[in-house]
Amino acid sequence: MTQFIAKRLFQSIILIFIVTVITFFIMNLAPGGPSSMMRMDATAEERAAIAEQLGLNEPVIIRYKDWLFSALSGDLGISLSSGQPVIERIQERFPYTFQLTAVTLIVSTVLGILLGVLSAIRRNKWQDHLINFGSVAGLSIPSFWMAIMFILLFSVELQWLPSSGVGDASFADKFKSMLMPVVILSASTLPTIVRFTRSSMLEVINQNYVRTARAKGAKEKKVIYYHALKNALIPVVSIIGVLIPRLLGGAVIVETVFGWPGMGRLIVEASQGRDYNLVMGVTVFVTILVIISNFVVDIIYSKLDPRMKAY
Amino acid sequence: MRNISKWLIGLSLLAIFLVACSKDNSQNENKNNDEANQEANTSEPVAGGEISMPIAADPTFNTWHPNAYAESNIVNRIIFTGLTKPGKDLTPAPALAEKWEASEDGLTWTFHLRENVKWHDGEPFTAEDVVFTFNNLVLDGSMGANGASNYKSLKEVTMVDEHTVEFHLERPWAALPAYLAFNSEIMPKHKLGEGDPWNNTDFNKKNPMGTGPYKIESFLPGQSVILVKNEDFYEGVPNLDKVTYKIVPDANTQIAQAFSKELDYFVLEDMSALKRIESSKDLEVTSADITRYFWIALNHEDERFKDVRVSQAITHAIDRQAIIDSVMQGYGTIAHGPITPDQEVYYTDEVEQYPYDVEKAKQLLAEAGWEDTNGDGIVEKDGKPFTITFDIAIQGDLERIAQLVQQYLIEAGIDVKLNVLEWNAMIQKDIIERDYEMLLNWWSYPTDPDVYAQYSSENAGTGNNIPGYKDPKLDELLSKGQATSDQEERAAIYREVQEYMSETLPYIYLWYPKELQLRNSKLKGLPDMYYGATLHYIHEWYLEN
Repeated sequence: MTQFIAKRLFQSIILIFIVTVITFFIMNLAPGGPSSMMRMDATAEERAAIAEQLGLNEPVIIRYKDWLFSALSGDLGISLSSGQPVIERIQERFPYTFQLTAVTLIVSTVLGILLGVLSAIRRNKWQDHLINFGSVAGLSIPSFWMAIMFILLFSVELQWLPSSGVGDASFADKFKSMLMPVVILSASTLPTIVRFTRSSMLEVINQNYVRTARAKGAKEKKVIYYHALKNALIPVVSIIGVLIPRLLGGAVIVETVFGWPGMGRLIVEASQGRDYNLVMGVTVFVTILVIISNFVVDIIYSKLDPRMKAY
Repeated sequence: MRNISKWLIGLSLLAIFLVACSKDNSQNENKNNDEANQEANTSEPVAGGEISMPIAADPTFNTWHPNAYAESNIVNRIIFTGLTKPGKDLTPAPALAEKWEASEDGLTWTFHLRENVKWHDGEPFTAEDVVFTFNNLVLDGSMGANGASNYKSLKEVTMVDEHTVEFHLERPWAALPAYLAFNSEIMPKHKLGEGDPWNNTDFNKKNPMGTGPYKIESFLPGQSVILVKNEDFYEGVPNLDKVTYKIVPDANTQIAQAFSKELDYFVLEDMSALKRIESSKDLEVTSADITRYFWIALNHEDERFKDVRVSQAITHAIDRQAIIDSVMQGYGTIAHGPITPDQEVYYTDEVEQYPYDVEKAKQLLAEAGWEDTNGDGIVEKDGKPFTITFDIAIQGDLERIAQLVQQYLIEAGIDVKLNVLEWNAMIQKDIIERDYEMLLNWWSYPTDPDVYAQYSSENAGTGNNIPGYKDPKLDELLSKGQATSDQEERAAIYREVQEYMSETLPYIYLWYPKELQLRNSKLKGLPDMYYGATLHYIHEWYLEN
């Protein structure tokens, strides 16, 4: 296990390094810089003054080196657009994204497994067809379009749910604000869990030990939910690791449409404003987050399936 | 199959009928809204209530901060105040300055400040704050203050006494009071005087301190800025208790929130929802004149564009009215120069006009030596076809407009290739590096005819004079306009400016757009002005019971 952790840690450091190099150079070599964000009629002197103040006159490679050394000492720099430390801006926004993605993950996992099992045990019946149809629809409808349709229906026509914000202190208010973003984010993750659970279940219920359990007279519910599901879930756990980056990516669109003040919105604002330090900070933070979550999933996976320890 | 066709025809007829009904209804509603509005505007203001308005991103609470973009201006306008503000007749009106006068040579302006004005923390506002704002923030070139280029003619601001300041100019500048009303709010010396004012995040991002009608209650990044009324506001206690700026970046969500009553007032950028909004009884749409014009800039460093006949041909070739009718849904009028019709005293349309006429365009091109000699539909000169790369930034309707312009110019024999760029990339390529042939955009400026910045040879090729246009006669006329304070004399000069520009076409003038404002129909007391100017009167707004 120690060897496994050490190996993964080494791979993660290399990965983070590659991600920072790619992001830094793409961002800095893209046309336009923070001084382009000034008004169209700003003079050359005004633009030069800003570049000087923000330390953008050095070559990109030197700036990357400076950024890397301060990042290694734990300093992600100052956000060019607000003057606040990058870490402070991430701290302000991360709780909101965490809230949104964690709830989405829980909802899609629980609901996805239930629907997947139902779909498998009702194979080729109307329940299976309905769930399949729902999955395909969820995956194929663009989330920004669905978001606008939801807002028109639930906020404008019915006036049941607020169309943006995170709600005030009360739980009911927070719940109402989160409902639409969670449903839309779930629409892209739920179908994957459903399909994985379904195929894994179908494979498992045809295996000998399930037949044996049935032959021994175990009740059908016990056979499905105890004997079969336990084993069928092993591959489903691994897919959750894949869904986390997808969720964070989806949050960019959902947060923008629903005015949700999370990391997705932050990275859009940072790249539009050419806030180099903030883009780097958020990228590193999200990369570490994805690496950690995959790492945790791998450990759980190896616990569930002892054969995995060999890797 | 026949049945399906019947159904389709039936449904289409029903749809046409419904659209027709809704159109009638919306017209009636509008009429009713207008009547109700007139009635309500004569009613007595009511104190209390709160409203919400959208902004697209987190603001920076400092007008001069290099990162204070458009969304910041909207918020800063009601937290801070300037020396002057746009009057309801659009001429500069008193704000922090009660009155002002210029010296005979026009080089010194004296501003007499209001007494007993307090900052939101109770500290007195004095001449020192004005001196600090201009000398330390605006005029210090190393600061790169946002909007500092407007004050190129300003040398220094000095304090005469606690309530009097003098603005010393390099050359006479009659438009100074108008510019002081345009994103030029005064900042508190006692809060920003120490340390680097741009890095004072406590002030710029959390706790701004102004002299305006509203003061900060809370700012939740990415969510909202909540402002409460300033009981000590020098023009009287505001009617509305609270104003919330909600950070809603998506334009569709903004419109949806107007329908769900979560937003009360903003500028409608996307006109596709117009019909639906007009049919709502809770919302109303009003249009206002705004000092803005759309243009096409031809790079005058390019030999082809030095011949004025080419500019004239391009202007003739574009059916501007058709674009206004389609893209702008009729909310705009054809432009003949940079002075907008809202400036009634100065504006004239008795100038050279260029009605849509492809044949005339072709004829002018031929006179300039551009003719289609090989019959491919594209004109040539010295064997080279007339091909223009047309740069567009992704912003609002610019792309749609550019596509139409492209079609019109191809019809006239000019091969136009569209080059769509992200906004920052466009600024870098076209404005900073000046690597462009043709560009579409617009100018907004204070309500004053002084357009020296965008046309003087001195600024040729900079962010201001984008086409790189140089003309000594125009320079002379514009300097004369700047130096004249007398309104009648100025009007005569700027009429001449418009006549001259319509002949020489430094830019290709497209249209003066109208601004559409979307409002909660209960929101009253707003002056009949563009959105940015109505904010100067927010203390007079009220919600009808």
